Parts: sequence; structure tokens; C-alpha cells
Amino acid sequence: MRFESLCVWAFAAFAFGVGGNSIDDELIIPDETESAGSGDQTCSIFGTSASSQENIEMEQLNTSSIEENVNARTSSEIENAGIVLFENNSIVRYPFDEELTLKPLPRNFMLASFAFQMQSNNLTVGKSEVSHDAYRHYTVFPKSLSPILEYSQTRELHLRFTHGRWDAESWGQLPHNGTKSGGSGVELWAVIEAASRDEAFENWIMLTNSLSGLFCSSINFINMEKTTYPVHSFQSSDQQPIPIFDTSKKAYLLRAALANEPICTENLTPFLKLLPTRGRSGISSLLDGHKVFDSNWHSLSMDVETVCDGDTCQYHMDANIEMVFNVQNSLARAENPIPKPLGDAELQCDESKPHNAWECFPLPQSKHIKFRLSELFGKKVVGSNLISENPSKVCAQVSDSWTVYLDIGDSLFSTDDNCFAIRDNELHDLHFQSDDTAHVVKSDDVPLFVSRSLTGYGQDGGGLRAVFRNPNNVTVDAIYFESLPWYMRLYLSSLEIESEDGLEIGDVIKSTFYLPAIDRQRPTHLEFNISIPAHTTVALSYQFSKALLKYAEYPPDANHGFEIESALITVLRPIRSEMRTATLLLSLSTPDFSMPYNVIILTSTVMGLAFGTLFNLMVKKLVTVEEADRKAAAKRSIKAQLIEYLARLKTNGNKTNQEKKRQ
Amino acid sequence: MNLREAQVVIACVASRFGASTVFPILQHQLDKSVEFSTPVTSYRSLQEGVFLLRNDFPLYSGGVVHHAPLLVALMSAFNNENMVSLLYACADALVAYQLIAMARSFNNSSLPSWVPGALYVINPLVLLSSVSKSSIVFSNLAISTALLTALQGNWVCSAVSIAVASYLSLYPLTLLVPLLALLRDHKLKTVSTTAVTLVTLLLSSYKINDGSWNYLFSTYGVIITFSKIIPNLGLWWYFFVELFEMFIPFFKAVFNLFVVSCIIPFSLRFHKQPFYAFVLCLCWITLTKSYPTLGDGGFLLSFIPFFKPLYGYFRYSVISALLFIHVTVLSPIFYHLWVDLGSGNSNFFYAISLVYALGLATVLVDLVWAMLRIEYDKGKPNLNLKLTPI
Repeated sequence: MRFESLCVWAFAAFAFGVGGNSIDDELIIPDETESAGSGDQTCSIFGTSASSQENIEMEQLNTSSIEENVNARTSSEIENAGIVLFENNSIVRYPFDEELTLKPLPRNFMLASFAFQMQSNNLTVGKSEVSHDAYRHYTVFPKSLSPILEYSQTRELHLRFTHGRWDAESWGQLPHNGTKSGGSGVELWAVIEAASRDEAFENWIMLTNSLSGLFCSSINFINMEKTTYPVHSFQSSDQQPIPIFDTSKKAYLLRAALANEPICTENLTPFLKLLPTRGRSGISSLLDGHKVFDSNWHSLSMDVETVCDGDTCQYHMDANIEMVFNVQNSLARAENPIPKPLGDAELQCDESKPHNAWECFPLPQSKHIKFRLSELFGKKVVGSNLISENPSKVCAQVSDSWTVYLDIGDSLFSTDDNCFAIRDNELHDLHFQSDDTAHVVKSDDVPLFVSRSLTGYGQDGGGLRAVFRNPNNVTVDAIYFESLPWYMRLYLSSLEIESEDGLEIGDVIKSTFYLPAIDRQRPTHLEFNISIPAHTTVALSYQFSKALLKYAEYPPDANHGFEIESALITVLRPIRSEMRTATLLLSLSTPDFSMPYNVIILTSTVMGLAFGTLFNLMVKKLVTVEEADRKAAAKRSIKAQLIEYLARLKTNGNKTNQEKKRQ
Repeated sequence: MNLREAQVVIACVASRFGASTVFPILQHQLDKSVEFSTPVTSYRSLQEGVFLLRNDFPLYSGGVVHHAPLLVALMSAFNNENMVSLLYACADALVAYQLIAMARSFNNSSLPSWVPGALYVINPLVLLSSVSKSSIVFSNLAISTALLTALQGNWVCSAVSIAVASYLSLYPLTLLVPLLALLRDHKLKTVSTTAVTLVTLLLSSYKINDGSWNYLFSTYGVIITFSKIIPNLGLWWYFFVELFEMFIPFFKAVFNLFVVSCIIPFSLRFHKQPFYAFVLCLCWITLTKSYPTLGDGGFLLSFIPFFKPLYGYFRYSVISALLFIHVTVLSPIFYHLWVDLGSGNSNFFYAISLVYALGLATVLVDLVWAMLRIEYDKGKPNLNLKLTPI
């Protein structure tokens, strides 16, 4: 929970522009443009720090000399290191690619996809990084990540930070067919090489703890209760076998999600630090916490895979940042941070309805629009990445009613496919212009629409209902994966199907994998192989009851409820794609948290009363009341005995005194 | 079996079976109510067990099934819901019949033999418990069989029945002690028969459960460790929710000791009235067991008619009657206020579980007191005499 509070503070601090003298100052994670800490790391190529725009502009004056400059420096470094990295001495070539794709969506939304790809140097299989004689040269692959992967024997790592709702009905298929976005919150899965499942779990915990520190999030809250070992889902799509370094071991796939994790700037900053450009040049210079997290939907994803060719292995890393924002809202906020009503000149009225100076029904979306990328992101692209053989790429996927220009130093360029390569070190901007914003490039059809909801009203039980709608002409085969916390006691026997076409459970669910939950040890793990016929809607529902938790297991805001992580649907046919349902909020009944001592006292009293009375009756003898009174009277009390004894002592003492006097 | 007794038994089957088939929704509602259904007796989890068994899913690897493997296997033999209802109705009718047979075996009693059976049939707690298809019906049947056959001197049958009862719900094993007092001879044989039967049942369960012992924790471990913290009428659920973690193992031991603490004292003190000692032990278990239901209470109250001669000595009969009414009326209301409406909190229902425990305790204390009185009076009631224990 510490990270959450940190995150809230950071947000608050940004939102209200807290000054340097504030107490909260130390909690703020600095904005990446201001963070000077990594400046000298990036300088190895630039020569001088590029932390401010003036610097960059100064360098732009002698752009032509940069390449030689870079070249000279890098090769001298290489000579110092004593190894030859690249054969080609003419330009610097690192295995790094980056691309920004901008795609207008219906209703004035815009999808911005930042894609980064990088590869590590060759790994020596069987030689540990920790041994003394070993050293490792890092180029573009993040130095912070590689030891973590090696310690925990991780062969594949997939991390997702996602928040918001993807409106599949109007935006269509998720980017990358959904394979690069997770459920709301944090989602993590990894392939770990280990001798046994226990060892794999130990490595997994090591991995989650390291990632937690690296990404400044609560990934360390992943434990046995949240970890599943998926059977059919989460399999890598490419058919390459997972490389095993030690043939006596096996590969284990582990997965966990934290649905209640808020995603914020402090996750973005470490994310950008993994990139070789550190968010200072290339397309990543656009990424700013304010803008990324002000979007309707955003997803940060990272995939690392070990790719082997014979004995040489490499890590391949894909990092993607995707977001959907409303263009008009973003422009309005950039222009006018405090919202106020539009002037009548700016209003766009629906002309099919009555409209005059006093009356206006605003259009659901503006038809004409003209904006610059720098207005949306608050800054321009700071040149190319300068370390890759491929220039940074910016693409706009627009229909023919849009025109896109690249703006370099106030001169505009356009291309046929609306893709622009950013080669030099100048500030780049993109101009968008459209006379019909509703006309956008059609997204791929969504193979399946899925939604899931909770049913029932009590806090002691309820049901889950997942609705699948297949809008296509072909049968869709998919895998439905669900992991539910142990306090949802699932009754799979109550599984019911609702279908207008009279489908039976057997027609839809081809096979089931079910592993029931163990209290405080294992979540419920459910995987259905489903097949939804064309143009049908099917609802699956099942019941569960809820357990009570112990006093200390409730979070501080127990009545807020518990987030249930989203279900994953992996569509296998007709096209491979993934989608996730929204998370759910489950409310559990809560005890009265002020009662511990009262409960102990009251319960013990009742137990004592019952036992004491019975014990008394059984060991004692029954007598008449008169007899009891007589006995009580006959029996001298201790007090009486004591008084008598004292009295006797006194008389004795008096006697001896008198005797003494006589003598 | 005379006409009146046959009528009672038929009424029992008809009322149970009728209620189940005419109002199937009643079964679902009762099965969700905490008063009649607990994790270890609920019909819903029994059905889940049958479902898992039929589909070859792991039955006792976590999950919600806490019923004995043989019971799940037995239930999986029934495909028809009406057949299951009939099975429950017949089991309950058998209990009613056995109560009648017990009354007949006390032939000196002033009570007509059909009365205990009839009271059992019309007892709403028993009726609702049976309609909810709680598996407690089967352990009650086994207990009453053991008691009846012990009264009749059939020690083999008695030993087997008590072993079955303990196999189904563990705690009846302690009833072996008063049962031995009830059987005048063959005590060693009874104990060994019980042990052999129990071991056989456990071994066959092991066999049926694909050679795994993991059912032991799911069925008995859950009872002993109080691990399914779900509101019920017991004293402990709120206790363990609220208690600080480090004290929990100690108090689990205390609660377990508490269950067995009075069994031997009752059997020793009242060894001359073994039937009575048996009922006292049953009452004590009902009070202290880990997952009690109102069905247990109803079953226990069905034995009270046998002690008609003691009625005059009861000191708190009004209070205990009021406490029971208080519980049956307010428990569903308070639970609803807490869980569904949210206008009450958990303390409301906790208070009810305390009242239920008090109600059972007053009945128990009254019974003990009355028996001690009648012992003092040497069988000739002298109600005006004032006695006190010293």
C-alpha cells in the first residue's frame, strides 16, 4: 500500500503544482524532463547533456558534425572496452527500433502507440553474471533488467500496466490484437526455468520483488494466493520452443495480476528509464506522465523473450506504450486549463436540429479539426534516437479525409503513406487536418465481445455472469481464463448457460480445466475452451458464496470492496487475439472492527457459564436449603476463627504481663 | 407398529417430500441460510462434490466440498432430484420411526409411543433442516439408529451405526462413551467393532478418492481446525475473525477440548441412566460443535419428550423456550440486516449465536438439575422441597 500512497501524493503534487518548499516534496518522483540523474548516462553518445532545449538547438547548428562525433566517441569507447561490437565502423548501429503510430478513432478519439524494440548482446549460456571473472557489456538492453532475469532464471517476461476502458464497440480491435495490453491494474506472467514447481515459485517471488522495486509498484504483493499456472492461456503465439539452459530443468509458466493497483507517473518514469533514449530524444521525448495518464485508456507493456540460435542467446525486448485520448478534450485542456463554456463562435451546432443565437445542440463530434501533435503532448519530438541504424518513425494511420504534415523548423513535408522518418536532431512536429473526422481508417473487426458482471445482492454470495457475443460469420474458438480469489467459494455445478438459440453447455464449452481454490494458498483457476457459433450471444453464469476474512486480512478500506481481476479471452480462431473483461468489485461482509475484546469476553462468558454451572451441579451434593443453612452456620468462617485466635493471643499476653508484674 | 405410528411415519415422508417437490425454491433458500446450512453440511457443496466426481475434477484439493467421500459417491448414484428428495424424506421418516421405537422400548412410560415421533415430524426446525437437504439428516439417522439398537441390546448394529455417524460428522465418535454405558456387556467388542468399521470406511474412502488421503483434511480437518470462517450459530466464528493471530492456535485447542470436556463426566455421573447421559452428551455436542445448525437443535429437542417425569423440576423452561423463539425469529432477520441490507452489523448476528448457546445451555442445565432432583427424591417427585448444591 505504500506505493499507492506515494502515487497519490505524486499525483496531487503534480496536479496542484506544489512548490519546492512543501513537505511533500521528497515524495515527488521527478518528471523525466527534469531528472538530471541519468543525464550523464545518455551523454556517452551526445557528447554534452541534452537536458534542456537550448542545448539541443545549439547542437542543431552543427548537425553535420554529430555523426562523426558520435562515431569517434563510440569507437574509442569500444577500443577501451577491448572488444569489437560491430563490424561496420562507418555508423553506430545498435539493435533498437522505435515507432510512433497515431490513429484517429471515431468520435474524436485518437490512439497513440509507441513501440520500442531492442535486443541484448549475446548471452553466454551457463556462465553466471555474478561470477567474478565475468563481465557483461550492455548496449541498448536495460542494464537493470538483465541481472534480474538471470537471477530468477526467467526466460520470458511479460508485464502490463493498464488502466481505463477500451471501447471495443466503437474503437474496434485492441492494438496488436490485444496481445500487448493487460487487464486493469498490473498483470505479470513469466516463463521460469526451474527443477521443480516450488523452485519456480521461489524464483517467481524473487522476480516479483525485484520488479516491484524496479517499477515502483506493488508487484511484491503477488504471493501464493494470487499466482496461477496457466495451462492453455498465456502461451506464446510463435511456435518457437522456450530455450532451456539446463536440460535437467523444465520451464514453468506463472501468472498473477493485481487488479487494484493504480497506474501512475511513478510507473512511467522507470519504464522510460529502461529505454536507451531515456525519454530524452526520439519519440519517447513525447511521453509525459500528465498526458499519458490523462487518457481514457492507457497501457504500458513490456515483453522480454530469450531467443536462441544454436548456442548464442539474446534477450529481445518489446516495450509498448499505448493510449487513447479525446483530442478535443486534450486540446481544450492545453489551451485552457480551467474549463469554461465555449464562445458562440466556437460552438458547432447540430444543423439537423433548430439552432440560432440562443439555441444550439452541440454536435457529438466536431467535423472539422486541425491540430498539432505538440498541442496534444505539450512538446515536440526531440529529434531521432541517434543510436539505431533505423531512424525513429512516426506514422499516421488516417483515411483520405485527413492530411498529415511533418513540420521541421517551420517547413512542412508530406508523404504518400503518412509515415515519416525522423533522422536528424531537430524538433519535429506533426500537423493533422481533417474535414470529416468521422471518416477514419476502419479498425479490424472484433472477433468476440465479452463482458462480465457480478449478480446477486447479498454480501454472503452471488454469481458471475459472462456474456459472449460473436458478431462474425464464422464460429469463434477461444479460451476463457479466470482466476478468482479463494474467498469466492465457487460452485461450478451451478454453471448455467443462457442462449436464445437453445445452445447447451456442451455445445459451447468444449473442455474445462478447473483447480479449486485453497484458503489463503491458491486462487480458483478456471479455463474453458469455448466455441461460439456465428451471430450468437451466449451467457455463462455460475454461483459462489463468500467467506469471511480474519480481522487483519481486511484492507483499511474494507467496505470499499475487493477488486476481482479481469478474465482473459484468448481467441484462437478465426484470428488469434486477446481481450480482457473489466475488473469487478466484490463486497464482502465485514466484522465490527472495534469488537475484539468484547467478543473474547462475551464468548468466554457464555462458555464459562455453561461449563461452570454444569460442573458445579455434577460435583456437588444436593441438600435441602435448611440443611445447607445449618451447615453454613455450623461452619465457622475464617474471619471468625481469626478474631478468636487474636482474642486468645491477647488474653495470653495479658496473663504473661501480669505474671511479670507480680515477679 | 400401530395405525397411529404408521400415520406419523407417512406424514413425515409426505411432508418432507411434498415440501421439497412443491416448493423447490424453498430448498435453495434454506440451503443459503446460515441457520440450516454450514460448509460441512450444505447440499450445495454436496452437489458440487457430485459434479466434480462425475467430471473427474479433483474433489478434495481445496474447493467447497467437505462431505465424506462415500456420501458424495452415494449421492452421485442418484440422477433424479425427486429421488434425492425421497431419500431425505425417508431418512427423516426413519428417524421418526426410531424415536417411536425408542418410546416403545420404555414400556413403563406414561407417554403414548407415537408422541415423540409426532413431535419430531411437526418440529419446524427438523422439517426445515430436512427440506434444506442438509447432510446432518444422515448423521442424525445414524445416531438415532445407534441409540435404538443399543437400547435393544444389538451391540453390533449400534457400533456400526455410531461409526457411520462419526464417519459422516466426526463428533458422534464421542457418543461412543455414553453408548458403552448403555450396552450392559460386550463393551470391548463394541469398541473394536466401531474401530474396525471406522477404519474400513476410511480405507474405502481412501480407495474411492483415487488413493489419496487429502479428503481427511477437507472433511475432518475443517471441523477440527475451525478453518471455514462463515457465519453460523456456533460460538467460534466471530471469535476467530476478531482474535489476534497469535492466540488463534491456543483457542482452537480450547474449543476442541471444550467439545470433549463434558462427555466423560456426564457418562460417569449418570451411568445409572445411560440413555439420559447419551442425550446430555448429544446436547453438549450440539452446543459446542464447530458447525452447528438449527437442525441439530431440532433433533436434540426431539429427545426431550422422553423425560416427561422430569418436567416438574425444570426451573428455566419458560426462559429456554423464549430463548429458542428469540433465536428462530431474530436470527434470519438480523442476518438479513447485516448481510443484505447493511443496516445492521455483524454484532447483531453474533448476539443471536450467543443467545442460541445460552438457550441450549439452559436446557442442559435444567435437564441435569432435574435428574439430580429426581435422584434425591428417589423417583417419587416432591416438588415442594427446596434443594441447593453445596
